[in-house]
Amino acid sequence: MKRNKNLLATLITSTMLTFGSGAAFAAEYTISVWANAGSLENYRIDAIKIAADLLEQEYAIRGEELTIIIDGKTFTQWSEFKQAVTLAAEAGSAPNIVVSGHEDIAPWSQSGLIVPIEDYIDIDAWPISAIYDNLMEIASFQDQVWGIPQDAESRPFFFWKDHMKAIGYSDADLDGMAEAVRAGEYTLANVLIDARKMIDAGLVDEGKGFWPRPSKGGDYWQFYTSFGGKMDDGEGRLLFDKTSMAEFFQFFVDAVELGVTGKNHIGTPWDQWHGALTSGKVGMWHGGTWQYSEWTGKYGLDFFEEVTFSLIPGGGDNGQANTLTHPLVYLVTAQDDEDAVSISAELIAIASEPRINALHAIKSAHLAISQEETTIPLYADDRWAREATAVLLPYATAAPNNVNFGQYFEVMFGGLQAAWTGQKTVDEAIADMETELKAALGDKIVIR
Amino acid sequence: MGNSRHLGLFLLIPAGIFVFLFFLMPVVLTGIFAFTNMSTATGIKGGAYMITESSMLSMTGEYGEDVLAERLLQKVYTIDEAGLAAALESGGDAAAIKELKTRFLGEVFDNRRDVERAIKALNARPSSTRAIKLISANFERSVVNVRFETEEELLFAISDFGISLTEIQIEAVQKVAYTGWYFTTQNFKTMISLPDTKKTMINTLFYVFTTLILFNVGFALVLSISTHYMGTGTAGFFRSIWLLPRITPPVLYVLMWKWLAWDSGFLAVILEPLGFAPRNWLLDTPANAWTFIILINGIVGASMGMLIFSSAIKAIPDSLFHASEVDGASRMQQIWHIILPQLRWPILFITSYQTLSLLTSFEYILLATNGGPGGATEVWALATYLKALSNYGGALQYGYGAALSLVLVVIGITLSLIYLKVFNFANMTSKPKIE
Repeated sequence: MKRNKNLLATLITSTMLTFGSGAAFAAEYTISVWANAGSLENYRIDAIKIAADLLEQEYAIRGEELTIIIDGKTFTQWSEFKQAVTLAAEAGSAPNIVVSGHEDIAPWSQSGLIVPIEDYIDIDAWPISAIYDNLMEIASFQDQVWGIPQDAESRPFFFWKDHMKAIGYSDADLDGMAEAVRAGEYTLANVLIDARKMIDAGLVDEGKGFWPRPSKGGDYWQFYTSFGGKMDDGEGRLLFDKTSMAEFFQFFVDAVELGVTGKNHIGTPWDQWHGALTSGKVGMWHGGTWQYSEWTGKYGLDFFEEVTFSLIPGGGDNGQANTLTHPLVYLVTAQDDEDAVSISAELIAIASEPRINALHAIKSAHLAISQEETTIPLYADDRWAREATAVLLPYATAAPNNVNFGQYFEVMFGGLQAAWTGQKTVDEAIADMETELKAALGDKIVIR
Repeated sequence: MGNSRHLGLFLLIPAGIFVFLFFLMPVVLTGIFAFTNMSTATGIKGGAYMITESSMLSMTGEYGEDVLAERLLQKVYTIDEAGLAAALESGGDAAAIKELKTRFLGEVFDNRRDVERAIKALNARPSSTRAIKLISANFERSVVNVRFETEEELLFAISDFGISLTEIQIEAVQKVAYTGWYFTTQNFKTMISLPDTKKTMINTLFYVFTTLILFNVGFALVLSISTHYMGTGTAGFFRSIWLLPRITPPVLYVLMWKWLAWDSGFLAVILEPLGFAPRNWLLDTPANAWTFIILINGIVGASMGMLIFSSAIKAIPDSLFHASEVDGASRMQQIWHIILPQLRWPILFITSYQTLSLLTSFEYILLATNGGPGGATEVWALATYLKALSNYGGALQYGYGAALSLVLVVIGITLSLIYLKVFNFANMTSKPKIE
């Protein structure tokens, strides 16, 4: 049906061309855009549509007739989305533009699935030149810029204010919480103690003192960082710091033993998780900046009244408070039609302009990709965007762009789950991880 | 006679095509993929040649060529006559190239962006990024981070860069710079060395045989025999009820189990007054998870056996039952001496069919526990799926996944052969002695 429509459109365009317009140049492109997007994240694709409209007008002013049809497709599960993209690419039908996590740049560039976007647009020119340097760095691999950051976010730690007050914190303490966490005065050890106090005081149920993310996610690397772990050695090798990893696992094992976190917490349905923590049934939790829009919207949370937030607290002497940012990036895939690749890249550049990107940032509660964007009134007037940007972004780390990081991630999460649910002791889990990483990655990972 | 034989062959063609497409091809491809390191990063269709920081790690690690690695990683861009000529030849903007020559001839840069910035600073700067790249590409003298489609191109570029390689070094460069897949037995070595492999295998055997014995054969027998002794209407009613799980969409079916089991679900609510704290009954302990997984699979699986066994029992001549009743046989004796012996063939069929189907089925486990808690219910087929087709970081391990599923193929075929032997297939299909 769609194909017929396209065919019809092509026919009409070409007929019009033959009989009249006389333009020097006329072309039609169907640009497909695939994204993993929740209900509030429609601008991942709609921004490209706005860009298409602008680009068509620019071409028209130059006297060239350009028609762009945007064919968007959204997914709701990361693994399903990535499976679809990689398999479509292998079958030779990759979408023109993919909105994916920056960690895909390494494997997808090595396999030739994507092409460096800087081969098609001028990264020294606005709006790309205005994007935060660290975000551009995250979108680069092997000295080339492969993608353009589509959003930034970070993953804070949250406290339910009333429960914190009930166990002895004052309003002033809570206002200073973000700073206390940043300075290392409030650590993960305090988290366990306070969570237990809340349960003992009858404020929350057993197992609901501290509620981590209920599913697999990059968030868990933050706790490795909290205990001083680093994900790579800065020279292209991944890094598995056994001590930090063990301390990180031990933290979750302790949380289970103290009864502040459930042994089978992973697998809790998302709506149950959101529902509990937006209604004061949970003392502390960690999540993502983007969840703000869901909590205040769908779940009716009066955020600044009920909740305060900070970086993820540090763990031990070697660690520090931190947060992880996981920007999604616009990527262009390799196509036979170089002009289509070029048009796709131009669309991405336009979609990255501050005013357009701010639509996505505010609607989905993500953070700005450039300093300029924070001055757009829509963004500047939003308290959450303003405060989250100031408290979190300067301390954000990101996962490395490394071909083998995906494998390391799976092994880490397998080990964490085994220790957390008591299937293995922490030492066994670490030893098994070491065996598996050595076998799978050899000299591509440093183990110490 | 000859014609009808040909007709028979002709009619088999569709079946042949299906067997080829959906059995032989996948098996052969699995066999091939299993001996490769194929992944998202290597791609399936083949690779290119690249000198990168990462590939040079192997150069130092595996080959001890530290000096060579360092030289290959150098970046040099020279604006020289050869480059200018090549730029012109490849269709670069003539005015820009002319201005570039007068202003920058002989200059050396250590990264491409600076070359491009120089081009962009020209008065006659080309209008598009692609046009700039068309010119800048010609001044690269180094080889790092450049994608070469063939090894000849790479080796030529290296020698052009002024590095001469020994035979051993050429071999090393070819090996580490290749981004595509190659044949290897590493998958199987890895599989053997991993502690979780054994656990997954034990899980699989436990899952398959417990579900098979308790439900797919055991409970199916109970259902078919008990409905045999009911009136036609009642029997039909009970059989239909037991068919419902099979015709419920799996996602909904598992969702209902989840509602039953989670910590604010039905079980938690009715057990709380009895003194059991609310918990996620599905994921609380490995024993809980297994109980649910076997129930979820078994209740669906039993209905197939029930249908086959019931129709087989129906095919037993009524006269046998009447005669046995005249002889004073009890129901247990009827079951033992009449029904079960007649069900040998159906039981063989269900046992072998369901063993193979359980070995490869993981959809209910994926939906219910996804292998949890902590990998306790991860079976072989699920592990295969997760490795080969589901990776949070977008790095799918096709090769390793294929190696895992090859093991399943081998186990499946072996078990089938054993069943045929044990149940004496040849004997059952031999010609009746009486006629």
